[in-house]
Amino acid sequence: MLAYHIRLGLKSLRRNPVLTALMIGAIAIGIAVCLTALNVFTLVSSNPLAHRNDVVYAVQMDNWDPKEPWWDDHPELAPFELTYRDAKAVLASDIPDRTVIMRKTAMIMAPPDGVTAETAKPFVSVVRMTPPDFFPMFDVPFKYGGPWDDKAEAAADAVIVLSKENNEKFFGGEDSVGRMVKLDDREYRVVGVLDDYYPVPKFFDVNNGALDDPEDGYVPFERGQMFELQSAGNTNCWKPESLNSFRDFLNSECVWIQAWVELRTPAKVAEFKAFLDGYVTEQKKFGRFERPLKTKLSKVSEWLEMNEVVEDDNRVLLGIACMFLAVCLLNTVGLLLAKFSGAAAVVSLHRALGASRAMIFRQHIVEVALIGVTGGVIGIGLGWLLLLALRQLYNSYEAVTHLDWSVGLIALALSLVAGVLAGLYPTWRICRLQPAPYLKTQ
Amino acid sequence: MELRPILSAMLRNKTGAILVALQIAITLAVVTNAVFIINQRLEKIGRPSGMDTDNILFIQSYGFAAAYNHNVTVQEDLELIRKTPGVIAASTINGIPLSGGGSSTSYKVDAQESTADVSGNYYEIDEQGLDALGVKLVAGRGFSHEILRYDTGQPTSEMVPEVVMTRDMAKALFGTDEGAVGKRVYDNLGQSATIVGIVDRMLGAWVDWDKLTQVVFHPVVSGPPLARYIVRVEPGQRDALMKELETKLGESNRTRVISWVRTHDYYIERSYKADTRMAVLLGVTIFMLISMTALGIVGLASFSVNARVKQIGTRRAVGARRLDILRYFMLENWVLTTAGVLVGCGLAYYFSYWLSSAYEVPKLGIGYVIGGVFCMWVLGQLAVLVPARRAASVPPAVATRTV
Amino acid sequence: MLEMHHVGKVYRTELVETHALRDFNLKVEEGEFVAVTGPSGSGKTTFLNIAGLLESFDSGTYSLDGQSVNELGDDERSRIRNQKIGFIFQSFNLIPDLDVFDNVDVPLRYRGFNSGERKRRITQALELVGLASRMKHIPAQLSGGQQQRVAIARALAGEPRFLLADEPTGNLDSLMARQVLDLIEEINRGGTTVIMVTHDPELARRAHRNVHVMDGKVTDLQPFEPRPLIVAGEERSVRA
Repeated sequence: MLAYHIRLGLKSLRRNPVLTALMIGAIAIGIAVCLTALNVFTLVSSNPLAHRNDVVYAVQMDNWDPKEPWWDDHPELAPFELTYRDAKAVLASDIPDRTVIMRKTAMIMAPPDGVTAETAKPFVSVVRMTPPDFFPMFDVPFKYGGPWDDKAEAAADAVIVLSKENNEKFFGGEDSVGRMVKLDDREYRVVGVLDDYYPVPKFFDVNNGALDDPEDGYVPFERGQMFELQSAGNTNCWKPESLNSFRDFLNSECVWIQAWVELRTPAKVAEFKAFLDGYVTEQKKFGRFERPLKTKLSKVSEWLEMNEVVEDDNRVLLGIACMFLAVCLLNTVGLLLAKFSGAAAVVSLHRALGASRAMIFRQHIVEVALIGVTGGVIGIGLGWLLLLALRQLYNSYEAVTHLDWSVGLIALALSLVAGVLAGLYPTWRICRLQPAPYLKTQ
Repeated sequence: MELRPILSAMLRNKTGAILVALQIAITLAVVTNAVFIINQRLEKIGRPSGMDTDNILFIQSYGFAAAYNHNVTVQEDLELIRKTPGVIAASTINGIPLSGGGSSTSYKVDAQESTADVSGNYYEIDEQGLDALGVKLVAGRGFSHEILRYDTGQPTSEMVPEVVMTRDMAKALFGTDEGAVGKRVYDNLGQSATIVGIVDRMLGAWVDWDKLTQVVFHPVVSGPPLARYIVRVEPGQRDALMKELETKLGESNRTRVISWVRTHDYYIERSYKADTRMAVLLGVTIFMLISMTALGIVGLASFSVNARVKQIGTRRAVGARRLDILRYFMLENWVLTTAGVLVGCGLAYYFSYWLSSAYEVPKLGIGYVIGGVFCMWVLGQLAVLVPARRAASVPPAVATRTV
Repeated sequence: MLEMHHVGKVYRTELVETHALRDFNLKVEEGEFVAVTGPSGSGKTTFLNIAGLLESFDSGTYSLDGQSVNELGDDERSRIRNQKIGFIFQSFNLIPDLDVFDNVDVPLRYRGFNSGERKRRITQALELVGLASRMKHIPAQLSGGQQQRVAIARALAGEPRFLLADEPTGNLDSLMARQVLDLIEEINRGGTTVIMVTHDPELARRAHRNVHVMDGKVTDLQPFEPRPLIVAGEERSVRA
């Protein structure tokens, strides 16, 4: 019987091709727009570290100006980064299972002597300087090799983990572990090469934009201080103090280091929080931390929310996309009503020939579902094209415009539900129809 | 006119009428708010920068070799750039205006610790800096070569002897920009500098910063390893000179690399990308929304015409002119649209209220709503024109035809 | 077979109440061919709609084939229409998108026959009306008489006990009308009870008996007289 319903449905749809196209088009465009907005929204509001959300925490402590808060709009928040001294104190604690204090810097990256590939040109790279815990803590995938060991970190050895992209540029994508690259004219030994790693948003450092590109390479944290390299990220200072050397800067109240810890049990979280409070209380004795005691450990999800990673624009666009879908559906409901009321005579005839209300209902709901599914499929295709077009409008990595297939499935379900919802009322109306008046004359 | 029969006909087909009115209501509410947001963004993007952005280019050099000598490199580079035909002025600069990256610090009008400080973007430039930016000096003078401080790459808290600032910065400090030249500004260590010049206007680094127009210039050549140059060229020469300078500078010195040579537009476009994107996306969406609503009106009106062919024929048979039929459908649509916009106005203000409370957006102006209502009326009338004309062309003989 | 006692039907709008049927009494025996006549607005069509279970009624009792239909739900009514009743309409009411075969197929689908059974019945019904060669035509390609014969085939394919016809020749010229009526008579001779609504006394005369309806009531009821099957032409003279 389903096949029969579909056959009759197709015939009925073909009877008013313009109307059918209009309905399918309305659903398709509505779905496409909604899908696009939803896709972008899901991506920017996603948590790349959701699977480790309960054990990884961002560290904050409020060392800011006693006269004014760090962020006027949100006076309850502590700075998003730490001073060098405080970061080192966090690193020194043995409570966390893993600790990462890090920053980025700009360096000239060049291939080793002898590599002359067209793509292997020196360029100004952005390098993240971090302890090796960075990789396991943030679940960063390796293609070749792995992180440097603790001994190399302690000695601030000249070792580097390359991004997949740069390994391709310099070594054609081969296993380059053990080979050399140059940073600012000094040789660094490659210990590992990352696989694709483009977290969106770039949760571990959103200071320069949540959609910022990942770094070109990763080297031990203390290399930066060894060569007195300035930060390539945000540096914020508040205190009137003379800074006339790099040493002054390291001892200053300027915040510029991101700090993260891994705490695997609630007990450890409590213990580490107590440690931070104790540290700040201790420092207060030296005249530091003049604001009320405030330390904070935030899960990745809380961190992203605090940093307002999802721009207001995205919410507004998603809202408008939903409004648009609503208008498309209202449109479809109206057209279906009109179409079905035009079909009153035929429905009455079917009723006279013995079709029950249920059969009429099934017939029309099949017709509606045909419109919904066709509209949905076209909508997903269209949405994909819209995402491609959207790529032109973003600066950074194209991940924002990747079609997330779970969103695609949601859209397909949405279109079916939307189509059926839009068709439900018209279908119900036509089932309630009294057949007799429509049989006498056409 | 024939309003009463139209209303009663509509009441008999309530659902269809409600659907169209709802579409119009939502469309009005979304379109007015979206156009309002678009206008705000376009105003933001269109703000005058105060600089000669069309004819400015930026060059970054990065010294990396052991033999690299920063001050010599900078001096040679500037000489090379300045003597290239087509170049008007060139200077070192520590950051790129409107790029989203830069430096700010706070200034005060005296050395008291209790005095409120005023934030300003600061740019480190040399004696040709103001000319290279293309900003307009309205009072005082620029910097001389002799006063320049050469930084070493180490941090320094030393205050410069002289500054030039924008009118808005002077206003923020002193309440007025009149007579600012000759006054002193202080840093929070109590060191001070003389204001030697005021420029009319310039935008700083961060396009979303509310203090974007508060800019201060310091006579400093930034330290190694980065050297950034701003070059202002004769109109129309920019693209040719970019290539020429990149090649010449690259060949002149092997202890550094030229990271890039870029136009100012490159940065401005990047910085306003979020706003451009919002404006484009909203524009596309409201275009589609309006088309969708118009198609809905056409579709439903067509059906209503089809369903009433016989009735129309009868009206014609009893003496209605074509114009009367046309007017009937136009009037019907007008009544529907009006019902829709009434609801839509409420909805528009509701959206605006929600937006302004949740996202710190200013409230919707009444002009947008009035404009929106007129647009909806026109849209409705245009959309219904096609089916209404078809209705008007129904021959009176239809009335007597059976089947 | 079909019995209506004191059946009443009122149509209400905001302004008026119309008593389409009031105290309507009628008994039709199996195998009868009854013509229901009356001026327009007299309630003939309302009667036919109620008889065919297309409409409900407000008072009285109605039993069909020994079964009271007063209390039946919509689904059961649909089933009875599908299995026991065949309809023929003045305006044929064929589905314009479906070809002849598919049009006849519609009630059989709802009956749930398998495809072999459906095919057999469709072919048989179309052979009976003489249109077996036109199976793949769509209604618009047929003449009015042919369309009405397709409609008759559709009504017959389910082998109904009752055939209800509402002005079956109203839209046909006289020659075609005659062919259609011949066909209806032939069906009646096969044992199917036929009730035909018409305002044409010429047609009414070919029925076994006439029921005249006026203002929603039966005014002239002729008793059923069983009689031998007679050729149509001769029948007319007998009844006159």
